[in-house]
Amino acid sequence: MSALVEAKSSAQSNPLYALGKERLELIGKHADALMQGYLQGHVDESSFSQQALDKLINGRILWRPDEQQPLSLRPNVNELIAGLTQDERKRQINSDVGEHLDLIHTRVQSLHGARQKGDYAASEHHMQLLTERVHDMTGQFGDAIESLWHRLNTEFGFVSSLDDKILEIELAQRQLRRILDGFKIINFDDLIQLAGSDGALRKLLVSQLQARISEHSGSLFEVQKRLVLLMARFRHQQERALLVNRMSAFLRQHPNFKVGDYANRSQVPSVINQAHGIIALGFIAIDRAQDSYALAELARAIPRDLVPALHSEKQTQGFATSIQDLVATEQKQLAKDVEDYFLHVIESSAAISGVEYLAEQQLPWEPEMWLFQIVAEYEGLPQQNKQSFMLKKDSDRHSPFNHLHIIEDVTLGMRFFDEFQATG
Amino acid sequence: MIENGPLLERLLEGEFICAVTDEHSFHKLQNAQLVEDLNHFLRPLNRRVAKSEDGAVYFLAYCDLNQQARQQLSHQFNATVQSLLPMLEWMQLVQEAMGKDGALSAGDTIKLQDFESKVVDNQSLSQRLAQLSSDKLFKSTSDKSDMQIKQVFKRIKELGYLYQPHKDRLFYIVTGKVEQLIELVRFIKDEENVPISDDISEQEAMF
Repeated sequence: MSALVEAKSSAQSNPLYALGKERLELIGKHADALMQGYLQGHVDESSFSQQALDKLINGRILWRPDEQQPLSLRPNVNELIAGLTQDERKRQINSDVGEHLDLIHTRVQSLHGARQKGDYAASEHHMQLLTERVHDMTGQFGDAIESLWHRLNTEFGFVSSLDDKILEIELAQRQLRRILDGFKIINFDDLIQLAGSDGALRKLLVSQLQARISEHSGSLFEVQKRLVLLMARFRHQQERALLVNRMSAFLRQHPNFKVGDYANRSQVPSVINQAHGIIALGFIAIDRAQDSYALAELARAIPRDLVPALHSEKQTQGFATSIQDLVATEQKQLAKDVEDYFLHVIESSAAISGVEYLAEQQLPWEPEMWLFQIVAEYEGLPQQNKQSFMLKKDSDRHSPFNHLHIIEDVTLGMRFFDEFQATG
Repeated sequence: MIENGPLLERLLEGEFICAVTDEHSFHKLQNAQLVEDLNHFLRPLNRRVAKSEDGAVYFLAYCDLNQQARQQLSHQFNATVQSLLPMLEWMQLVQEAMGKDGALSAGDTIKLQDFESKVVDNQSLSQRLAQLSSDKLFKSTSDKSDMQIKQVFKRIKELGYLYQPHKDRLFYIVTGKVEQLIELVRFIKDEENVPISDDISEQEAMF
C-alpha cells in the first residue's frame, strides 16, 4: 500500500503528469464540439471562445492542416476516438514492425550500458521503456486484428453498397498481408542473441513475444479464411444482381428474343425439367360401411346457405326429369324467369300476383306451367329463406263432388313487409 | 411412407419445397434414403424428386421424357420465358426500393408497407410499378399504387416465388424458387450466348 502511494506521488512529481492531465481534461471539457468535429471532418470555430481555441491548438488537440483549411482534429486525436469507438471508417491499422524492432534494439543497448555502469535507476527506467515498447508492438497487432474481426463480424456494415464492401474487403486483405509480412521481419534468433543470458529480457523478448505472435498468426489465418468466404458471398450477390439487371435490359431491347426448344432436345436440360402438378381428388364413396358414420358427420357439418338460393338450376332438376320432353334450354329459361319474378318481389316489397306478372312481362309460358314453377321454386327454398317469403294460393274448388282445388293464381310477397304493415 | 403422404401430395401438386416454405420437409428431403423411397413411389407416375443446382429448393421432375412430358415442359417453359422480363423487373424494383445491392434471394423479407412507402415517395419507381403491374402477367387495372402492389405481390405469391407466413399480414418472404429462376436465367444466357457478360464497361455505361 505504501509502495503504491509512493509510486503515485513519484508519478505526480513528474512534470508530464500535470500537463497530460490538463490536456485530457481539455478533451473532456470540449467533448461535444470535438465529437462534432470528428464526425464532420472539421470543427466549427464559432462554438469555441478564442481562449479555448488557443488552448486546444497549443494542447495539440486541434490543428489547421493548411492555411486555407478549417480547424480540425489532429490525426492522433482522430485515431484515439476511432479506436475507442471502433469506428471502422476511420480506424487505422499500423502494421509497421521495423521501427518497433529498431527501438527495441536501441533500448536493449541502453539497458546493457546502464547495467555495465551499475546505474540501477537508469537500467530500471530503460527496462520499463523496453517493456512498454514490446507491449505497444504486440498491442498494435492485437488492435489491428481486433479491428479486422470487428469489420468481419459486422459484415462491413459501415459501408452500405456491395461494391464498397468488396473494396473494403480487398483493403482488409492487404492490411492482413502487411501484418503477416511484419511478423516475418521479427527474427527470434536475433532477439535471443540480444537478450543474452538475462532471464527477464529473455522472457520479455523471446518467450512472451513468441507466444503472442503465434497466437496472433493463428487469429490472422482465421480472419483470412473468413474474408475469402465473405468475399465469395459478396461476389456471388454482385454477380446475381448484374445478371438480373443485364438480362432484363437485354430482354427490353430485344422484345422478339426467342429461346431454343429445349424441351424437345435429345438431352433436356435439368433446369427446365419440372413436372406439372397433379391434383389427386378423392370423392365421397359409400361402398364401405365403416365410413358411413364419418360421412354422415361431414354431411351434418355442412353449413346451410343463408343467401336465398335463387340459382334454381339445381332445384328444378327433379322437375326436368319428370317432364322429359321439355327442352333443357327452355326449362332453364323458365327457371330464370321465375327467378326474376322472385327478385322482382324482393325489390318491390309488395305482394305480386304471379298471373299478373306473367301478363305484364309478356312471357311465353302457359299460366299453369308458370304457377307450377313458382310453387316448386318456393317449396324448394331452404326453410330459413322460405320464411322470408309469403306465398298465397288463390284456389277454387273444382267441383262440389270432390275436394279437388285448382290453383288459379299465386301471390308472392315478402313476409317482413307484412309484419311491418301489421305493426305499423 | 404414410407420414410422408402430405409431403408427397404437395410435391405432386407442383409445389416447390424450400427452407422458407417448409423448413421441416426441406430438411427431410436432404436425406438421400427418403428421396430414394419417394422416387420409388413416384416412378409409376413418371416423376422423381429433383433439386436446384445449389440445393435450395426441391420439386418434382419427369423421369422419362416421353412425348407427353416434353409437350408439358415445352408449354411450361414458354410460360416461364414469357413471364421472365416482368419477373426480373419486379426483382429489380424491389431491390431498388428496399435499397439492397444484391439481387433478391431466398429468405429475404419484404414488408409491403415499407415497399409501398418507398415506391410512393419516388416518382420513377411508381411509374415503373404502374407499367409493370399492367403487364399481362399481373393484369392490374387499378391506377392506385397500393392496389397495383397488392395485385403484383398476390400474383407472384401464386407463382410460388413469395411465401406469406400470416394470411392477414402483408409480409412476404422470398422462396427458394427464385434461385431456380436465377439458374434458368443463367442457363439461357449461356445457352443462347446472350451478349451480356462479355463487355462489362459498355454494358455498365448503359445503366
